Amino acid sequence: MMERLTVAERQQAMLITAVLALAGLILAIAGRNDPMGVHGWMTLFFAGGLFFVVGNALYAAEPTEDRTTSYYDDPTKVGILLSLFWAVVAMGMGVWVAAQLAWPDLRFDAAWSSFGRIRPVHTSGVIFGFGGNALIATSYHVMQRTSRARLAGHVSPWFVLLGFNLFCIIAASGYLMGITQSKEYAEPEWYADIWLVIVWVSYFVLYMRTLARRNEPHIYVANWYYMAFILVVAMLHIVNNLAVPASFSAAKSYSAFSGVQDAMTQWWYGHNAVAFFLTSGFLGMLYYFLPKRAERPIYSYRLSILSFWGIVFFYIWAGSHHLHYTAVPQWVQTLGMTFSVMLLVPSWASAGNALMTLNGAWGKVRDDATLRFMMVAAVFYGLSTFEGSFMAVRAVNSLSHYTDWTVGHVHAGAMGWVALITFGSIYALVPILWRRESMYSWKLVEWHFWLALIGTVIYVFAMWNSGIIQGLMWRTYTESGTLAYSFTDSLVAMHPYYVARTIGGAFFLTGAIIGAFNVIMTIRRVRQDTHELDYPTKSEAGEPAVPVAE
Amino acid sequence: MDTSYETLSTIAKSFGLFYLIALSIGITIYAFCPSFGKRFDKAARSVLDDEEGPCR
Amino acid sequence: MLRKILKPFSKFFEFHARTHYRAERHSMGLTIGIIAAAAVGGFVEIAPLFSIDDTVEADPNMRVYTPLEQAGRDIYIREGCYACHSQMIRTLRDEVDRYGPYSLAVESQYDHPMLWGSKRTGPDLARVGEKFSDEWQVQHLADPRSLVPESVMPQYAFLLNTSLETASLPGRLAALRTVGVPYTDEQVANAADDARGQAIPDSDRAYAVEERYGEATNIRFFDGRRDRLTEMDALVAYLQILGGLSDLPRNMQIPEGD
Repeated sequence: MMERLTVAERQQAMLITAVLALAGLILAIAGRNDPMGVHGWMTLFFAGGLFFVVGNALYAAEPTEDRTTSYYDDPTKVGILLSLFWAVVAMGMGVWVAAQLAWPDLRFDAAWSSFGRIRPVHTSGVIFGFGGNALIATSYHVMQRTSRARLAGHVSPWFVLLGFNLFCIIAASGYLMGITQSKEYAEPEWYADIWLVIVWVSYFVLYMRTLARRNEPHIYVANWYYMAFILVVAMLHIVNNLAVPASFSAAKSYSAFSGVQDAMTQWWYGHNAVAFFLTSGFLGMLYYFLPKRAERPIYSYRLSILSFWGIVFFYIWAGSHHLHYTAVPQWVQTLGMTFSVMLLVPSWASAGNALMTLNGAWGKVRDDATLRFMMVAAVFYGLSTFEGSFMAVRAVNSLSHYTDWTVGHVHAGAMGWVALITFGSIYALVPILWRRESMYSWKLVEWHFWLALIGTVIYVFAMWNSGIIQGLMWRTYTESGTLAYSFTDSLVAMHPYYVARTIGGAFFLTGAIIGAFNVIMTIRRVRQDTHELDYPTKSEAGEPAVPVAE
Repeated sequence: MDTSYETLSTIAKSFGLFYLIALSIGITIYAFCPSFGKRFDKAARSVLDDEEGPCR
Repeated sequence: MLRKILKPFSKFFEFHARTHYRAERHSMGLTIGIIAAAAVGGFVEIAPLFSIDDTVEADPNMRVYTPLEQAGRDIYIREGCYACHSQMIRTLRDEVDRYGPYSLAVESQYDHPMLWGSKRTGPDLARVGEKFSDEWQVQHLADPRSLVPESVMPQYAFLLNTSLETASLPGRLAALRTVGVPYTDEQVANAADDARGQAIPDSDRAYAVEERYGEATNIRFFDGRRDRLTEMDALVAYLQILGGLSDLPRNMQIPEGD
């Protein structure tokens, strides 16, 4: 990979890694009496390792051909592999935390292995490790293709991708050591948050610079969704993580907000992390890879624009539906509920747009598991956005809140929508990127599809049942007007569903492992598609690669 | 703070409504503006065959 | 007319349009559009909440956490207890019957961050303070299933064997003061001593704690051991104060739930 960088770029990379390693050293020394020091050492080794990898090849041959005639796909490839790695790790953690709720002794006795510490490893690992890497990698691919331009820069894509993974590593290892802000989906402490801001700003600059190079006047709509993802996540991240560190030699910090304001800020963040990390970005994926794989243009481009603005505008208001019947002022709760219900319109417009694109190509959906991944993802997107709007209604929320129904809803979205669209896109992308004739085994893709679908269905149904039962048990009164069930009674009733949930998760994890195996075997075993040129091939169907006529 | 919670929230709420209306009108006009029709069609088709490398 | 005035500059405009402007216009417009559409909702909902006087009921007798309780709160956060326990009793009849008066905004006024939670795998803890004895809490944390056989809570026996780190407490209180908790200079300076004092009744340090934080402060051997200050002391001290920072909810009439 180094051969695609010039010596000047390699030097630039070495400079950046050296500065980062120095920062790691400072963190390690400052935090020597605190778990933060461990993160300093990890940063030092991470950056130092990269420094030597680049340094080793500093004076290797430089690229000879004109780089602007081709796309730059190396960071995309690495991003896809990292995404699959995180998928296996984080989903494995998910199965473990699920099993702990069914059989609490599986926690063993270590301090680091309790539910409270490994649960954020699962959530952050899946959202940021698996989802984030997939988003970054596919955004690199999509922005280049739709702009008909090469990435702007050769160092900054690596900086964004690897810097983001350093953040993920610090986050996940921090939870195990007990470093957390306790803000759900924003748990990492102040130094990791600052680092993410630096990485994220570079990401935005890279995106803008690449778009500025584009050879089409119009920016394809998938890029809009990716842009919204980058911009709004930056805004959310910065505001929600405002905090004062107790000391610069320790990890602990205290949020700038308290009580009601903190709750509102946190769920403004929390819900829009769902909106802009787990929806907008992945819709970008959908709007590119679904038409591409189906070989049909999107059903209505106008509708995709309308639903884009609908989603960007409506979602921001919806966060307060996490706070129904709490100490947050009533009008804020009502606003949150109203917008959550209105949100159904752009959400279903997007899901419908995706399915209408496939209308007339059902034969392809039947035969091609990759396309089926995307189709089912769109269906689950429609289902879980409907469920979300429904659960945001105050009366429903009074039952569903605090129960497993919420967990089921999140997983219908995360497994059924986010993970399936990602796996579908990865299966579409891998043969193109590595210029292989096809995936190593289409049968394994089928296996993955069915395991993922069965796993999702088992999981979601188990959580629907347990959540509704739990919610009803909590509010049931005896005839004499006393509560009918103790909390423990409701917990006992959950056990079979917790077992079922673990099984569903295990199915899904098995699918992900098969997927990772299939991708690795595709790279290692499948024949290169004709010439090994730096020119991207025309399609994954195995046609000869033709250099562009200039 | 001089401004009371009451006034602040009233301003916020009414402003939000007007903003919503203005934004939806603006976007509908943009999306259905006839002169963009060709451009949108072209964009929709553009992703189908884009593996030939950057155009120059 | 306008055209005439602009004519001398037309070269500049053309040049501008051809190169920089044309390529940038759309992506910058898109950026501004996204920010404009996305910023407003959060602003409308969050900004009014900062005119706090009207949002939060006033309670002049609202207590702050003692250093030991705050240390316990930090352990509660560290162990991720909030992932399974909420601290927010909603205004619903069954919740009030099960857990006590519904939570008021003022009660989490000094909670940086709030720990309202989002999931009840275990019961709500907003008013768990003094519901159980210290011995029960210690035993339950060390081995939950010895008291509640059906429990799925992780065991936290290691807290009994881990000394509480107190050196950083003054810094923590100072940071909390920066974000708005009214600690006095004296409270900040003596935070480490006060943490010890609260777990050793009838000592000089304990009297100092009483003086600084009020007579109502719980001063006990929380983990049942006098020889050392453990993380268990801190966590139990925190759990026992939950719901006890303000008397307002208990004094207010309990309304019917929806």
